[in-house]
Amino acid sequence: MTLRVSRRNFVAGGAALLSLSALGTSALAQETRLRLLWWGSQPRADRTNKVSQLYQTKNPGTSITGEFLGWGDYWPRLATQVAGRNAPDVIQMDYRYIVQYARRGALAPLESYMPAKLNLDDFDKAQIEGGSVDGHLYGVSLGANSAATVLNTTAFKEAGVDLPTQATTWEEFARMGAEITKSGKRKGMFGIADGSGAEPLFENWLRQRGKALYTADGKIGFGVEDASEWYDMWAKFREAGACVPADIQALDKNDIETNTVSLGKSAAGFAHSNQFVAYQAMNKDKLALTNYMRIKPDSKGGHYRKPSMFFSVSAQSKAVDKAVDYVNFFVKNPEAALLLDVERGIPESAAMREVVATKLDENGKVALAYVSGLGDLAGKLPPPPPAGAGEADLMLRNIAEQVGFGQLSPSDGGKQLVTEITQILARG
Amino acid sequence: MTEMTASVTAARPPSDITKRSLPASLVIHALLIAASLLMLYPLLWMVSASVRPENEIFSSTSIIPSSIDFSSYVRGWTGLDVSFGRFFWNSLVISVLVVTGNVIACSLTAYAFARLRFAGRNFWFAIMLGTLMIPYHVTLIPQYVLFLDLGWVNTILPLVVPKFLASDAFFIFLMVQFFRGIPRELDEAAMMDGCSAWRIYWKIMLPLSLPVLATAAIFSFIWTWDDFFGPLIYLNDMNTYTIQLGLRTFVDSTSASDWGGLFAMSTLTLVPVFFFFLFFQRLLIEGIATTGMKR
Amino acid sequence: MSNAMRTPAGAISVERYQGAVAEGRFRRLWNANAPGYLFLLPWLVGFFGLTLGPALISLYLSFTDYDMLQSPRWVGMANYVRIATADPKFSAAMDVTLTYVVFSVPFKLTFALLVAMALNRGLRGLTVYRAIFYLPSLLGGSVAIAVLWRQLFASDGLVNAALSQFGIEGPSWISHPNYSIYTLVALSVWQFGSPMIIFLAGLRQIPQDMYEAASLDGASKFRQFYKITLPLLTPVIFFNAVVQTIEAFKAFTPAFIISGGTGGPINSTLFYTLYLYQEAFGNFRMGYASALAWILVVIIAIFTAFSFLTSRYWVHYDD
Repeated sequence: MTLRVSRRNFVAGGAALLSLSALGTSALAQETRLRLLWWGSQPRADRTNKVSQLYQTKNPGTSITGEFLGWGDYWPRLATQVAGRNAPDVIQMDYRYIVQYARRGALAPLESYMPAKLNLDDFDKAQIEGGSVDGHLYGVSLGANSAATVLNTTAFKEAGVDLPTQATTWEEFARMGAEITKSGKRKGMFGIADGSGAEPLFENWLRQRGKALYTADGKIGFGVEDASEWYDMWAKFREAGACVPADIQALDKNDIETNTVSLGKSAAGFAHSNQFVAYQAMNKDKLALTNYMRIKPDSKGGHYRKPSMFFSVSAQSKAVDKAVDYVNFFVKNPEAALLLDVERGIPESAAMREVVATKLDENGKVALAYVSGLGDLAGKLPPPPPAGAGEADLMLRNIAEQVGFGQLSPSDGGKQLVTEITQILARG
Repeated sequence: MTEMTASVTAARPPSDITKRSLPASLVIHALLIAASLLMLYPLLWMVSASVRPENEIFSSTSIIPSSIDFSSYVRGWTGLDVSFGRFFWNSLVISVLVVTGNVIACSLTAYAFARLRFAGRNFWFAIMLGTLMIPYHVTLIPQYVLFLDLGWVNTILPLVVPKFLASDAFFIFLMVQFFRGIPRELDEAAMMDGCSAWRIYWKIMLPLSLPVLATAAIFSFIWTWDDFFGPLIYLNDMNTYTIQLGLRTFVDSTSASDWGGLFAMSTLTLVPVFFFFLFFQRLLIEGIATTGMKR
Repeated sequence: MSNAMRTPAGAISVERYQGAVAEGRFRRLWNANAPGYLFLLPWLVGFFGLTLGPALISLYLSFTDYDMLQSPRWVGMANYVRIATADPKFSAAMDVTLTYVVFSVPFKLTFALLVAMALNRGLRGLTVYRAIFYLPSLLGGSVAIAVLWRQLFASDGLVNAALSQFGIEGPSWISHPNYSIYTLVALSVWQFGSPMIIFLAGLRQIPQDMYEAASLDGASKFRQFYKITLPLLTPVIFFNAVVQTIEAFKAFTPAFIISGGTGGPINSTLFYTLYLYQEAFGNFRMGYASALAWILVVIIAIFTAFSFLTSRYWVHYDD
């Protein structure tokens, strides 16, 4: 018994009486209609809609309607539409969810369209793999970003502390943080954000130790020792006053406006490079981007160029061909690339990157310079996170808070994290 | 019947005003003003956020902006693909229809539950209350599928039609409680005069229930105006968006948001509800009460 | 008043009884029930057409593993067994929700009743006060509330600024696991507008002449409140208590906007429906979420049934 069957039954039973309006839904057939759904705000929508218009003028007979929502509202709407078999043709997809949607048959595999219809020849090979699940391509990366530290340079200067460099280690960074806190130049401002519950930061730190969040087959990629040491490191930072106290960190809801840097509670915080423009817009002081710190002066490879988002094509689409063509246009057409800029991240196509690079504004340049200048700090793209990764992320944060508020010791926190995540992954 | 209507007179202001001394009045006013400030603070803050520079909305705890600039209003109204006026219109249409639907359908249902005897009344009443208890998140998908099959998705029908079918148990229950407070002697006398159930509902119940009908109207309007999840799921095309959906498009937690526009438009969206409230609360307060009834 | 008069369809004339017996029975049944069902018709159509189906499907889904993307898979009682035996988040969420219900409902109702009584007078300018007092409820669950509450209850918020006048250095209330739930209780009490309006409407329905008569008899204000206002207001008090309790059990928006959907810090604001939402839309476990939902329905139903049972001892209807 599937939901589809059961729904027919009750529609026939009761509500058919009401279905007068079912008339009038038949569309004119000769026009191909594509529906697009993405998360973002109006600036992204403006760019996207312009690309759609461009596509329509070049492809008469295709009409494209775009829908967009903020990140938080996007996922329930997408899930409902997919469940109702009313999914949009082109779906913006996140690295976190691509495995879930792909494995459950919601997305159309695209590799058969390559290279004729979908030409990703000058894409970074790793980025194509990033959009692949179980050997099929389900997502075309729309841009790359990398996790990054956001620095309030004004606050650093006021406190008389030099900015960290690519060589700075966590230990040194903590000393800087403690100095800023101690300088007391700004009321209520601490040195750095408490990153113990931030998944990208933890992942970066694990990778420098040669571990990972998840293995390629979707198992946990670190041990109790790693996790305990991680929580312990931050407990020491907290004690030294290098980072914000637990109750301040808990104000952070994982979005830009509640990041402790945006709230003026810390001089340094953790984010993603493509969000730099948004961070700067929200802050009066001059901000800068830098990498996550090294665990040792010679450690490397913690960072990676991450597909900031994908376009996927719905398996329910009646016009997969057209949808693929649109996606190809989106990532490979120079005019489109100019319209899109680096708003979704740095273009994956080498040719498009060149097109865009010439026209970048100040803030865009900061992001581009940052990602391309990572050098030995950048390593291989990890496999897409398994189902349950979202829950595991919340767990990392939950235990970080328990340690932060003194309810758990760092070593017990580490133990608990590994147990919980193992269970979450087993449940899937 | 005529006697009855005549005996129903407008509520007079309570008689204690004349007796209240000036100092007591002042004390009450002082307390009310102090409380009002507590209530007004958010509004002041929101207005302040709508005219201040974007980069101090979150970091500043002061309510007074460092400089004042109304550009957020212009940007908010015109900055989206669809003018914000369109969202106002859409919300207004839906809200007015929902108010109409709720007041008519729920009062009919409530009258049956409160006054009419029929087999299975308690059973249906319990079922009706039960519908109030189910978290909407889990009926969302089956309901979506149903409306999709009816061809109603991307129209306002899923948001409006159920209200004409008394889907809002809250209002039914509310009206039942009020209808039960209306003296039964009234119906009985009318029934002796040979009035039908319909006439009793129309000529006695409704006129005597203006306060609760006004309450239902106020809540229906405001809750529909503020509703977000329904429109999120059922309205896809931006031309059909309501103001709450419109407001959400200013904000994305992962990229650049227009907070100034959000707070400017949030402030504007309060204006119609506020006036709606002022207007209908007059009905609520000055509504006809059963003052003349001998009990 | 005779009994026959009490039933709406009671005006059955003697002649009717002289018809054929079968037809008479049908007519009696028809006359006794038809008006009720006719008035109930819109609701019945809505219930059978729009509400019942989705509710039954969600009940069915609670016995399945359903990720919204693939067809549901029957798992019997597995979801319920897991909730009862192996889900620490379920009990955490239950704790948070019960705390919220126990604290927010009585405070909100008392506050709403007091303000409604204060505003139900002939004082000048009350219209404005009423509107102002309803303002917080107008804001509903908008994003502004989340920011505002932080302005009030964060470490450098207004509350701590006030406390510092007395030399007390408060924590960041809104983001501290020991206190965050109470800031949400405060939010709920602050948005007391709806029960206030309902109380007001109830107060307006009390016949004024009853007070006049009592005044003439020399009854004190307190005695009038106790003997007239309170008893006549019981149906409305009952309504507000039942509905606010149900709403508090189902509360979602405040926690969602204030914790950004995480229910943190440390699950301290993990409301039941927020957990349910996380399971459904965050973790693709709609079947499990449906089971959670139906457990909540049963819990609320028990509370409500209990309220109705006790209501006959303290709620006074006029019928």
